[in-house]
Amino acid sequence: MSKKIGLACIIDDDTMYVNLVKRIVEAKNLCKNLMVFPNGKEALTYFEAILTSLDKNTIPDIIFLDLNMPVMDGWEFLENFTKIKNKFEKTITLYIVSSSINPVDIERAKSINTVKDYLIKPVTLKELEAIFLKRAI
Amino acid sequence: MLQNELFNNVIKDFNTGYWELHKDPEREIWSEKFYSSLGYTKEKTEPTIDYFLKHLIHPEDVDVFRDNFLNYRHNTVNFKQHIKIRSKIDNNYKLFRCATNDTLPVNIKSEFDLIFFFEVKLEPEHTITKDNFYYKETAQMTATGSWYVDFIEKKSFWDFETRRILEYPDDYIPSLKDSALYYAEESQQKAANLFFNCAMMGTPFNTEIKMVTANKRMFWVRAIGKPVYNENKEIIGIRGVFQDIDEIKKKELGLQKSIDIIASQNSRLFNFAHIVSHNLRSHTSNLSLLIQLIDEINNPEEKIGFIKDIKQISHSLNTTIEHLNEVAAIHTNKDQEKKVVRFKNALNVVTNGISQMISVSKTKIIADFSLLDKINYIPAYLESILLNLITNAIKYKHIERDPIIDIKTYIKNGKKYLKISDNGRGIDLKLFKNKIFGMYKTFHHNKDAVGIGLFLTKNQIESLNGRITVESEVDKGTTFIIEF
Repeated sequence: MSKKIGLACIIDDDTMYVNLVKRIVEAKNLCKNLMVFPNGKEALTYFEAILTSLDKNTIPDIIFLDLNMPVMDGWEFLENFTKIKNKFEKTITLYIVSSSINPVDIERAKSINTVKDYLIKPVTLKELEAIFLKRAI
Repeated sequence: MLQNELFNNVIKDFNTGYWELHKDPEREIWSEKFYSSLGYTKEKTEPTIDYFLKHLIHPEDVDVFRDNFLNYRHNTVNFKQHIKIRSKIDNNYKLFRCATNDTLPVNIKSEFDLIFFFEVKLEPEHTITKDNFYYKETAQMTATGSWYVDFIEKKSFWDFETRRILEYPDDYIPSLKDSALYYAEESQQKAANLFFNCAMMGTPFNTEIKMVTANKRMFWVRAIGKPVYNENKEIIGIRGVFQDIDEIKKKELGLQKSIDIIASQNSRLFNFAHIVSHNLRSHTSNLSLLIQLIDEINNPEEKIGFIKDIKQISHSLNTTIEHLNEVAAIHTNKDQEKKVVRFKNALNVVTNGISQMISVSKTKIIADFSLLDKINYIPAYLESILLNLITNAIKYKHIERDPIIDIKTYIKNGKKYLKISDNGRGIDLKLFKNKIFGMYKTFHHNKDAVGIGLFLTKNQIESLNGRITVESEVDKGTTFIIEF
């Protein structure tokens, strides 16, 4: 584990879930920094702002995106994010993490190529670890 | 023999006997049908005019027929005559219409002179009454009235049953000019179109339509009509029936309504199952993640620190379950007794309960229940609906102005409505139209937004077969319209 992920990003309105993931990341030392947005809108505002940034450290390597959120949900964020993702200096891997087991949601998510995979909550510690490690190599 | 093969064949199958008149020597050939229709045989009969006049024809008709026959035979003077001929079958006289070559409706191009004997079927008096009785009976039993619109006479004719189902007296003369008035207002255009198309293009119709009786009672009718042509193929009228299908149609409409209710209940139930699964899952998944974390950590003190997280999850789980209970209760409570509730009283209960909130926010409520002051409803629901919509209007007030809430009731097309408008910040319906009534959907950054109120409101309204719709414009305000 010589290389470690610099920045991961969680977009989720469930504060309990966010806190737990934070703790896991800290305990397992999975990445250097973690940023959190409570809905798609705030995340999108951030990504639009760093489009012109030259500092690679402000661009996350991984995004964990929830679907059901107030103000702007995951779908709408995805739609907007897909339009700008290629303008970033590095590849951003995006996972959907949702408690929805609705097959319609899963199919829809997998048909969008910005989405690397669809994880159903509860995610396990091992899953999280594997994702961070896969991206790091 | 007849030259015209086709005609020959027709005659064979037709119940018509004929004579072929031959010259040199003068004699007649009686056709097979002529014998059989009267029950005679060739062997026992002499096929001569003398024999015919003496034995077969009715004495009353002898003189005229003899003259006609001889004139035809010798001078080729065609003739038509009704005669009675004695039948061997029952020894009674049968009525025939005699016609010769040139007095037939079609030109038969025969090389012989022919006389046809068309049997005239005269129904005995009692059979006619019997048939008539059946027709009336059928019309009455099926509530089917006949009618005819005569374009030449410019008149409309109704039979007894049409008058009966439309509740007009027996001597009523229908008016062609006012015919639109026999239909319910919303059906008049449809009726006009059907009649016009039938009259102009000859398009027949068979439809269900709402009519109005003389007593101004509206009822459903099956109207069937078809064009009537003259010999020149011109449409000279429309003939048809009206059948009273009010009972069946009302049952059908009732059934359709039940299906709609069941479908909407089913969809709510399905939605509810999804909500239960989704909302409980988010807590249980947090719990499972937390337990994995506890397992991973070795420090006992840190482990104990997680107890407060378990408390938090447990608390959230309880809240969710309470919300779900509220939703489930709507479906159970909908059988609660409806009462006549005055809107004014329900509003008072609500505003008293949140008087603090109203005064702090400087909210002004303008209520007008003059068009509809009461409704038969579950009182608790009406209060809950008012409470949710009013508190929403206050919670999401516009930053730059004090809230004004306009509440109005009215009746439109026989349906009762409640309209609540505010001057708040509004919702972008392009983005949120499908989500506004969903559970745990919030659209603003308010901390106290829970996302349950409108969901409950919608469920309460729909459980009593009503509907709620929303109109909104960002920065202008929001209007909710409830159809009870």
